Amino acid sequence: MKTFFKWALAVLLVVAICGFGAFLYFIPPFFITPPEEFGKAMADAAPGVADIADPAEGAIAARGRYIVMTTGCIGCHATNGAQGPDLTKYMAGGGLKFQTAHGTFVSRNLTADKETGLARRTDEEVKRVLRSGTFTDGHVVPGTVMPWPVFSNWTEEDRHAVVIYLRHLKPIAHQIPEPAPGNAITIPGAIEQDYAGKDYGITAK
Amino acid sequence: MNLTHERRFVFTMAAAGCLAGFLWTARATVEAQPRGKAVYDARCVECHGSTGKGDGPSASYLVPRPRDFTTGKYKIRSTESGSVPSDEDLIGSVRRGLYGTAMPGWDRILPDGDITDVVQYVKSLSPQFAVAPKSVAIGPGVSSSPTSVARGQQAYEKLQCGKCHGTDGRGTAAVATMFEDDWRQPLRSADLTEPWTFHGGATSRDIFLRFRVGMTGTPMPSFADAASEADMWDLSNYVVSLARKPVWSMDADEIQQFYARQGAQAKADPVTRGAYLVDTLGCVQCHSPVDENKRVLPGMKLAGGLLLRIEPFGDFPTGNLTSDKATGLGNWSNDEITRVITKGIRRDGTRLLPYPMDYGSYSTLTPEDLNAIVAYLRTLPAVSNKVPAPTRPFLPVYLWGKFKMLILGGDPPMVFFAGNAGTKGAQ
Repeated sequence: MKTFFKWALAVLLVVAICGFGAFLYFIPPFFITPPEEFGKAMADAAPGVADIADPAEGAIAARGRYIVMTTGCIGCHATNGAQGPDLTKYMAGGGLKFQTAHGTFVSRNLTADKETGLARRTDEEVKRVLRSGTFTDGHVVPGTVMPWPVFSNWTEEDRHAVVIYLRHLKPIAHQIPEPAPGNAITIPGAIEQDYAGKDYGITAK
Repeated sequence: MNLTHERRFVFTMAAAGCLAGFLWTARATVEAQPRGKAVYDARCVECHGSTGKGDGPSASYLVPRPRDFTTGKYKIRSTESGSVPSDEDLIGSVRRGLYGTAMPGWDRILPDGDITDVVQYVKSLSPQFAVAPKSVAIGPGVSSSPTSVARGQQAYEKLQCGKCHGTDGRGTAAVATMFEDDWRQPLRSADLTEPWTFHGGATSRDIFLRFRVGMTGTPMPSFADAASEADMWDLSNYVVSLARKPVWSMDADEIQQFYARQGAQAKADPVTRGAYLVDTLGCVQCHSPVDENKRVLPGMKLAGGLLLRIEPFGDFPTGNLTSDKATGLGNWSNDEITRVITKGIRRDGTRLLPYPMDYGSYSTLTPEDLNAIVAYLRTLPAVSNKVPAPTRPFLPVYLWGKFKMLILGGDPPMVFFAGNAGTKGAQ
């Protein structure tokens, strides 16, 4: 009887390990929610434009929202909380860090915050980054980090719509470190390397 | 001839002065080049490439393509047709930027000295600059008036501008609007109703110069022989008068009408809309194989095979999106293409990773836009490039990676480009 229990326990253990392995094998990678629902929820989190007072700005911002949502800006510019991206801090940045030969870049805060967000930049400065990847201090972000070479193909009117929409995002104070000089990559063949899951912003004490 | 001491002294001093002046100028040019190169390497290589051939890592995705500096051919000039541009032309383009392109204005970003130095360096990249530019004398011009604009419209018809720019300046009823430039890159004739996209500026003087000296490297010729200077000024005034209201100057009703009009156009011509979406959503950046300098391999745009290594999940080559039946989307139905774009489910029912193919975001595209993307992909010329199936690492490594990430709450995966995996363009 004792040996029977021993065997039963062993079999149970093996079955449990196999079952757990199968569970791991079959659940979607990255997140336990099905990826298409998760991705759609991220995109749908873009705040609406109904409460914009100026009707002309509202109409343009609606176009901007569509572009921001379909392009997936939030994929990089999200802020990570304990349980993955924190969508209440929409576009506050800090979710991704790119370490490249040209420097270390952290996704930036695109909300309308005056101290840490886009409110510090003029419309033309924002458009210049979207068109040329060129920041006001003269540094050029590689196109493999921020895909500005494809956003450069937006018509000027669509780019304007994107900027108007970003101007209406709820301000969230979230300081992002400035780009740091390059640290050579040692992985052969690597063009870029990214690393997510933490808040790479400078957390307020 | 016997020179007095005084005269000899003056002569010697003058000769020494000339020599010193010459040496100083020569030294300044030689010194400007290393300084200019430093500026170039920091600011310009991303698009123009380290050798100045206009083939930097970002160049493949830009329309129009960045300038190839090694040929000495420049569109925006105030100098005679066939001549190199003047220093002022080049400095002006760097300072102001080129509207409607990715070239930013560097004024107030770079100090003036850096701009002049980088221009000297760029000139040193082409032997054509050994010949001095031939400047063009321009008269006072004709100020705009209804009669000048009317004469300009007649000149527009007489000179057959509508053949490329359309009867209305927007390409409507044009014989052709798509061309190739001297570098065999696609080029679209300018929409004359959108002056904010005129590369060299939109004043009547800017436009006059484009007629007077042409745009080297493009099908836009110089009209110096075909039209009088007065005709070209009238024509410039006419082109200025074609400008439509941009969206940032419209009121709410006009904006609604404008977007409705754009929507109707997209419905009537889904291929053009689809091309715009594919170019701006970034499909090209992953679905095109690149060489070691990150340039898209010639003729391989959207032909797939770029290998994304996602640790610990394995190697994921991007799909061939061309219309090839055996290796591309040729045999896929419209619904199957839409499903993979919006739900991440492949034709065989297997699932894509949630990243980097961002189908969550693409699922918010309107049905019209999805149709447009499919319509455009159908028009891509077939490229036979067989892309292998994704490979998974050794099973325990894979399961341990997932366990660490999902159960222990570790960092999500690292992603990097690891060469090309397609049968064509494999490394």
